[in-house]
Amino acid sequence: MTKKILGAVVALAIAGGVYGFFHALTHNKITIGYNKGYQPDQPLPFSHKQHAGDLQIDCRYCHTSVAVTRHASVPSLNICMNCHMVVKTDSPYIQKLTEAYSSGKSIAWEKVHLLPDHVKFNHSMHIKAGKQCTDCHGNVQEMEKIKQVQSLSMGWCVNCHRQPENNAPVNCSTCHY
Amino acid sequence: MDNNQDNTNNGKYWKSLEQWRQDPEFIELAQKEFVSSPLQESDGQDGWARREFLKLMGASIALTSFGCVRRPAQKIIPYAKKPADIIHGIPNYYASSYVDGFEGLGIVVTTRDGRPIKIEGNTEHPLTKGGMSARAHAHILKLYDPDRFTGPKHNLQNEKRTNRETIGAKWANLDKAVIEQLKKGGSALLLGSHFSPSTDALIGDFAAAFGTKIYRYDDISMDAVKSATKASYGQENLPHYDISKAKTIVAINNDFLGTWLTPTTFASQFSTGRKADKDMNKLIVIESLMSLTGTNADRRYRIKPSQTLDVVMGLLHEIVVVKRQGRYAGDGGLSSALTKYKASAGDLGLPLSEIADELLKNQGQSLVLAGGGVGATENEAKVIAAANLLNSALGNDGKTVLARAPSRFEGQGIGDLLTQAAAGSIKTLIIHGSNPVYSLPESAKFLESMAKVEMIVYTGDRNDETARFADYVATDHNPLENWSDLQTADGSYCIQQPTIQPLFDTRAFQDSLLAWTKGAASPSGRVKSAATWYDFLKNNWRESIYKGGGTFEEGWIDVLQKGVVPAKSVGGALSFSRSAFTEALPAAKVDGFELALYQKIGLGDGSLANVPWMQEFPDPVTKNVWDNYACISPKDAKTLKIKQGQHVRITAGDVKIELPAHIQPGQADGVVGVAVGYGRKGAGRVADGVGQNAFQLIQFMNGQRVGAGFKVGFEKLAAHTDIACVQDHHSMEGRQIVVEETLQDHIKKPGGNVHRHHMITMWKEHEYKGHKWGMVIDLNSCTGCGSCIVACQSENNIPVVGKKYVLKGREMHWLRIDRYYVGNPENPDTVHQPIVCMHCDNAPCETVCPVAATTHSDEGTNDMIYNRCVGTRYCSNNCPYKVRRFNWFNYTDIPDLQKMALNPEVTVRFRGVMEKCTFCIHRIKFHKYRAKIEDRQLKDGDITTACQQSCPTGGIIFGDLNDPNSAVAKAFHDQKSYPLLEELNTRPAVHYQVKVRNVEELQGDGKDRNYHGQKSEEHHA
Repeated sequence: MTKKILGAVVALAIAGGVYGFFHALTHNKITIGYNKGYQPDQPLPFSHKQHAGDLQIDCRYCHTSVAVTRHASVPSLNICMNCHMVVKTDSPYIQKLTEAYSSGKSIAWEKVHLLPDHVKFNHSMHIKAGKQCTDCHGNVQEMEKIKQVQSLSMGWCVNCHRQPENNAPVNCSTCHY
Repeated sequence: MDNNQDNTNNGKYWKSLEQWRQDPEFIELAQKEFVSSPLQESDGQDGWARREFLKLMGASIALTSFGCVRRPAQKIIPYAKKPADIIHGIPNYYASSYVDGFEGLGIVVTTRDGRPIKIEGNTEHPLTKGGMSARAHAHILKLYDPDRFTGPKHNLQNEKRTNRETIGAKWANLDKAVIEQLKKGGSALLLGSHFSPSTDALIGDFAAAFGTKIYRYDDISMDAVKSATKASYGQENLPHYDISKAKTIVAINNDFLGTWLTPTTFASQFSTGRKADKDMNKLIVIESLMSLTGTNADRRYRIKPSQTLDVVMGLLHEIVVVKRQGRYAGDGGLSSALTKYKASAGDLGLPLSEIADELLKNQGQSLVLAGGGVGATENEAKVIAAANLLNSALGNDGKTVLARAPSRFEGQGIGDLLTQAAAGSIKTLIIHGSNPVYSLPESAKFLESMAKVEMIVYTGDRNDETARFADYVATDHNPLENWSDLQTADGSYCIQQPTIQPLFDTRAFQDSLLAWTKGAASPSGRVKSAATWYDFLKNNWRESIYKGGGTFEEGWIDVLQKGVVPAKSVGGALSFSRSAFTEALPAAKVDGFELALYQKIGLGDGSLANVPWMQEFPDPVTKNVWDNYACISPKDAKTLKIKQGQHVRITAGDVKIELPAHIQPGQADGVVGVAVGYGRKGAGRVADGVGQNAFQLIQFMNGQRVGAGFKVGFEKLAAHTDIACVQDHHSMEGRQIVVEETLQDHIKKPGGNVHRHHMITMWKEHEYKGHKWGMVIDLNSCTGCGSCIVACQSENNIPVVGKKYVLKGREMHWLRIDRYYVGNPENPDTVHQPIVCMHCDNAPCETVCPVAATTHSDEGTNDMIYNRCVGTRYCSNNCPYKVRRFNWFNYTDIPDLQKMALNPEVTVRFRGVMEKCTFCIHRIKFHKYRAKIEDRQLKDGDITTACQQSCPTGGIIFGDLNDPNSAVAKAFHDQKSYPLLEELNTRPAVHYQVKVRNVEELQGDGKDRNYHGQKSEEHHA
């Protein structure tokens, strides 16, 4: 008898656990596989805090195409060199940067915010709609090392698109085509 | 409606002979709805091996994450020094040009991040007006062909050039060897037609520096055309026409809409005169094979190829002798020469008198075209001269017959080269622009004649037939990597500019010439001063071509931007010289089979054979892919009891080739038609081993290559090969699919033959507050050329599946062109109908998808969401238009080089996913977003779909149906527009416009246009 009760309790607990897990999963309580919090080491310790925060360089100075195309674009090294031709040339990292620039080999940054190939996120339309960079990328101006702060899941996207004040399209083909 | 009724053969539309004959196999097939079957036993064995072998164009999904890996770590590698004009995500467009055979097209090359990914037409070009040909699109995949040579090559040969070893060479060593050899004298240059004035100038300097003799050779011979033009108008040249001004067009064994001379230009001109009003042109085609031109004919008659001259002469006889009209009415010498053709009309069984009346009705506004290209008869030059005379008699000179911009064709023919080489007077031979070892029959003894030539240099780009035989291969660039210029038929100058850094260690043919000329004892001043071919080209433009005002540098930039400098006056004066006409006797009757070689629209002369798109391009007439075959008429097939696909052996001289038979409705009896361009050796992994080389059947007669009109042996064999055809799938029989009207009826009441339904719907109607995208396809403009198919394939990363899977009905084209015959299979009428996704308002696919992977957008498009799709294929099952395509396998395993041609704006699809036409939604979005960024409204015409852009006849209109002033909205609601299968109440966003024929009565008994037994009566559901 006790065995049966125990069995029932275990079964219920498992069922409850599974239900709770899926409930949390489907109600955006937890997310898996979305890499929220991902903060990899980069080949050069570029600090957004210093550049965007302390020095208050506009995001678009480096991410030049954010207002005109789908891609915000990681800056080409000639943009870095606009300042670093003269600024902090004694730093070993800047020397490494200069070398990558001069040799034409560039630098392989770790991609942090990654959407699957079948998602066509358009930066320029969000800028046009008056969204702030920080809305999705967090307080970049305070990050020494860049970190993914939002899940970037479809549910997260759609939640925002569904807000009437955003007047955003919710067709599947808005992002998938 | 009763579908079974329609399987009877009384003048109804039919798609294949199996259907017409009521083959039990066909009926079974028709009832099956899909030809595709689920995975079969053999799949995964040879199937995989074959695909692995083919490495076809597909898509890539290398970035899929695995369950156990936290994330796919990706790198971002920015430019070190970004070029100022490249913005990641915004394509750059370069105006350029492309030469295909004898046609120059103005093109615009789309590049992304420095990679050309798509070719479109240049709307600024006065001849092609933005139109493209299927082949011009395919050119992009030739750039990314993994079988290209990656640098210059040296063949270590034995004396007889039968055994060899190919090793890599260095340009410096090659140049040294070639220059040394050229200095010995006795050099010859074998050139294909190229139409580049600057290249001509350079060739002139090269030839002068080394005393090089120039010979001309094209894989498809136009020698007879050039010599007849010289005799007729005094200048060795190709002809040029303005078909838009012709009200009566008679084409005699001449496929001007498909493969002859400048088909894209001709198609554009033809459609201009094809508007369904009282001035609509009338096309009369008299031909042996069923050509694309024949399928567009208002009236079509069949002759044997050997009778071509008789038809032209017979027409002349009617006009000059019988009716005594036109310019040569009183010409006694001509009349007596023509009296031999008194009986022609009777012998040929053609209403030549009526045709002559049609022509005479429109003197100065008519056109007679003759000349067969690769299917030239023995009398080709006489045929063309007689056709020129006919045009002159009708007063067409200077009106529809124009002078073509002068091109340099001086030089001797291949026959002279062979004689000279065999005599030992040629020490060095440089071959450019043709592949003579492939396209000359063995009987020409090209290889034997070359025994005494010390060095052969070839400029081909792969280890093909001629490259194997050459001593050095000075590997040429792909045109997309190279500078050049071009003068099109009307005299407009075009620029060809490189759109990518050369992928390999190749060098432009012109740079090779320049390097070699510099090595000569006394090169010309302009060669000395030019460091590169680009310098030479630019200087040549500065000195001889550029005529604009302002400084040259400003003008040059303008030329590069526009890509074309239109000619001020179109064509020059023409005066026909009566002496061009030579007498001839009517052809003797040929018993047995006559040969007729032809080019396919896709493969042409075979130079694009290694492009998988071209191999899987459905022939516009036969709808067959991946093979060549012997076309025979239905009557011959019946008499000889030959079944579709049964092997036959064709013997011409000593050459025997074995091919499967294809039964072609509309073909003349006693004629066997074979396409050239197949049977390649060394062209690459796709082309090799597909079909047989029909160039081998060519005979030399009086020094000319003759491909038609002579007797060949014809034997039936027991073997059988399935011919892969995309036609018998997705049947639409028995419904109102293509509506045809006679011109008179159409003028009285446009769309009068359309049977309308007024449907009510139980569904909640969609609301489209912003845009509502729609399309109109004008069946009257469509010539069926198939340019749109390849445009779509290139734009949307559509894979190629291979012959085996086409046989199972798994081809992937999003846009297909259905071809229906109507009437008697001996000589049916033909209609072409492009089918895209209809983007129905009440889409049947949407309601059955269990995972909502296909949904309706608020702009009227039916979206296919690949990442949601689980591959149930219910949607395809429920689609009445059968436009959905399923990825049975992962067609993505292609060489990295080919992946460079993929469009990054379109998701590449993986196995198990359904796909279909998206209305080019990425192009819609691109322009919508652009307008938004620029704070303006979208204009009508901003957005073009890939198929629309490519159409040379302007048969496709796309735009916003919610904008009442848009071209598409006007056409959509026009009386002559109708939706397909309206009775299903799917409410498609694509409408078709009726096809109008300039005839008194349509073929068939009239019942076929009598849907539901009530002619054009409206009724309600």
